Amino acid sequence: MNEYIITSTNINQLAGELLNEGYNVVAEAEDGTAFIAVAAGSNVILNPFGKPTNLSPKQYIFPKTETLFYYKKSQTDVEIIDPTGLGHKTVIFGTKPCDSAANKILAKVFNWDYKDEFFNKRVENTVVIGLKCGYRDAQCFCTSVGLSPESGEGSDVFLTPLENGDYLAQTITEKGAKFVEEHKKMFDAISADKNKPVPMPEAPAKKFDAAKVKVWLDSNFENEFWDGLGDLCLGCAQCAYVCPTCHCFDIVDENFDYTSGRRVKNWDCCQFTMFTKHASGHNPRSVQSDRFRQRVNHKFKYYPDRFDMILCTGCGRCSRGCGVGMDISEIVQAIDNLK
Amino acid sequence: MLTIENIYKPDLVEIIDIIQETPDIQTFKLKFKDPEVQKNYSFKAGQFAEYSVFGEGECTFCIASPPTRMEFLECSFKAAGKVTKAMSRMNVGDTMGLRGPYGNWFPIEQMKGKNVVFIAGGIGLAPVRCIIKNVLDLRSEFKDVTIVYGARSVNDLVYKYELEEWKNMPDVKTVVTVDPGGETPEWTGEVGFVPTIVEKVAPSGEDTVAIICGPPIMIKYTFPVLEKLGFKDDNIITTLENRMKCGLGKCGRCNVGNIYVCKDGPVFNLTQMKTLPDEY
Repeated sequence: MNEYIITSTNINQLAGELLNEGYNVVAEAEDGTAFIAVAAGSNVILNPFGKPTNLSPKQYIFPKTETLFYYKKSQTDVEIIDPTGLGHKTVIFGTKPCDSAANKILAKVFNWDYKDEFFNKRVENTVVIGLKCGYRDAQCFCTSVGLSPESGEGSDVFLTPLENGDYLAQTITEKGAKFVEEHKKMFDAISADKNKPVPMPEAPAKKFDAAKVKVWLDSNFENEFWDGLGDLCLGCAQCAYVCPTCHCFDIVDENFDYTSGRRVKNWDCCQFTMFTKHASGHNPRSVQSDRFRQRVNHKFKYYPDRFDMILCTGCGRCSRGCGVGMDISEIVQAIDNLK
Repeated sequence: MLTIENIYKPDLVEIIDIIQETPDIQTFKLKFKDPEVQKNYSFKAGQFAEYSVFGEGECTFCIASPPTRMEFLECSFKAAGKVTKAMSRMNVGDTMGLRGPYGNWFPIEQMKGKNVVFIAGGIGLAPVRCIIKNVLDLRSEFKDVTIVYGARSVNDLVYKYELEEWKNMPDVKTVVTVDPGGETPEWTGEVGFVPTIVEKVAPSGEDTVAIICGPPIMIKYTFPVLEKLGFKDDNIITTLENRMKCGLGKCGRCNVGNIYVCKDGPVFNLTQMKTLPDEY
């Protein structure tokens, strides 16, 4: 790991240079709702003390809609055409540790057997410039899922805000080191007098013991605990759409006209009634409490069972955005308190 | 241009024949348009595929023809959803897409040297037919073969032409039944529910493997019958269906507990089934 200093001015200059080099440059929107493309001439917003954006930056490695191929139909024949523009070089600035950590978690499911090269190509072509997090609220629980607001996990380059307004830049991965090397003139050498990090609030207290929760989940698929949860849940799926690790998807055809169209992979969600419904009408998860049980189990039992990782980074977005105030960390905490 | 391996891209197949099995069930015979793909294609009995109608989407069902007959692939489907309804409007010569084979398969190697009883209900005969034909093509490697097939009515029986063929085979015991009330005046087969008929005609569970597929209610009532006949849980084998999209262990909807039906299944024995939560 190498350490450098980068000034705010140089971050904006770097973004401009990257745009000139043909990169997509992505950072927080001014209103804090999402990560969006940075336009030429505008500043890169780094928001270490701000609330996580409403939407996670997941869409840059796993888009809401991904074209798998195009098709052209003639009378009896079909032509399949590969998509273009996949995996454009991208730099994402300012993702907090709860977002940066998501890519490695998602990489498991997209590679455990068949390799999803759409995902891999995007990850490969994306440089993540993560940012230390100084935001705390009641919904934050990164420390409960083994992460930390000061962790560089998942970042290629990790920024720590310094008291003079500059940032300490640490290269975490080889990709990050190479990226810094290629843009060396934007990065200054460390100097002792400049290098004072802004003090960060205490890390969020641990809300639950994930290992203990998993032990309970292992033997309580059937339990009255689940029954009431569905009563509140609207099944609207906002929790999955804002989540940095939810990855369930649908595959559908979109017709442009009578003879051509594209097949796409769209974000989907286990909270929808139709998600598991068979053509026969039978639905293995027929009520909302079954579906909410799936959500909790997928994150805290099934994914750890299969991939040895919790499918959650503790960002708290699902809870902040929930229309009826459901908070997954409180629910999992309640499981932890059951015995 | 895309330079990656695209696991979601199907191969093109041509419909070379269509058989109307019942008013709403059809069988398609499919051949890959690329002769190289056709030549190199292989699968095992019990595996499934994703079938595309371009402009409508994909749907999932088993490959219904046996791996011992590779001149074409067959699939049987009921016009029930968006894609299958579109399929039911297609004609010979039309192009579809096919991805797969996916999932695991029936343990045919373990079945060799044993008695085999096949139990199917309704369109559940499609995956069982694949392994029946596979076994019959290698007949000498198995001991007694019994087939029990039932449907709601005579009209709902699929593969009628093959049921006749199997009935006429001297070394295969084939019993076909329809639910009470589903018979016609000309019906000469059994009348009764599948579990009842199984109890009457199935061999003892000693040294016998049972392959079973059909509506959940039929499977539910047949398991106790097989247990009574002395079948071991390891020798009662079924194939699960859950809604699927990718078939690749990614899209997240076919799972039963931490099991991906598309990867760990669709074939499970009763020992495995008993460990699964009730979510299928």
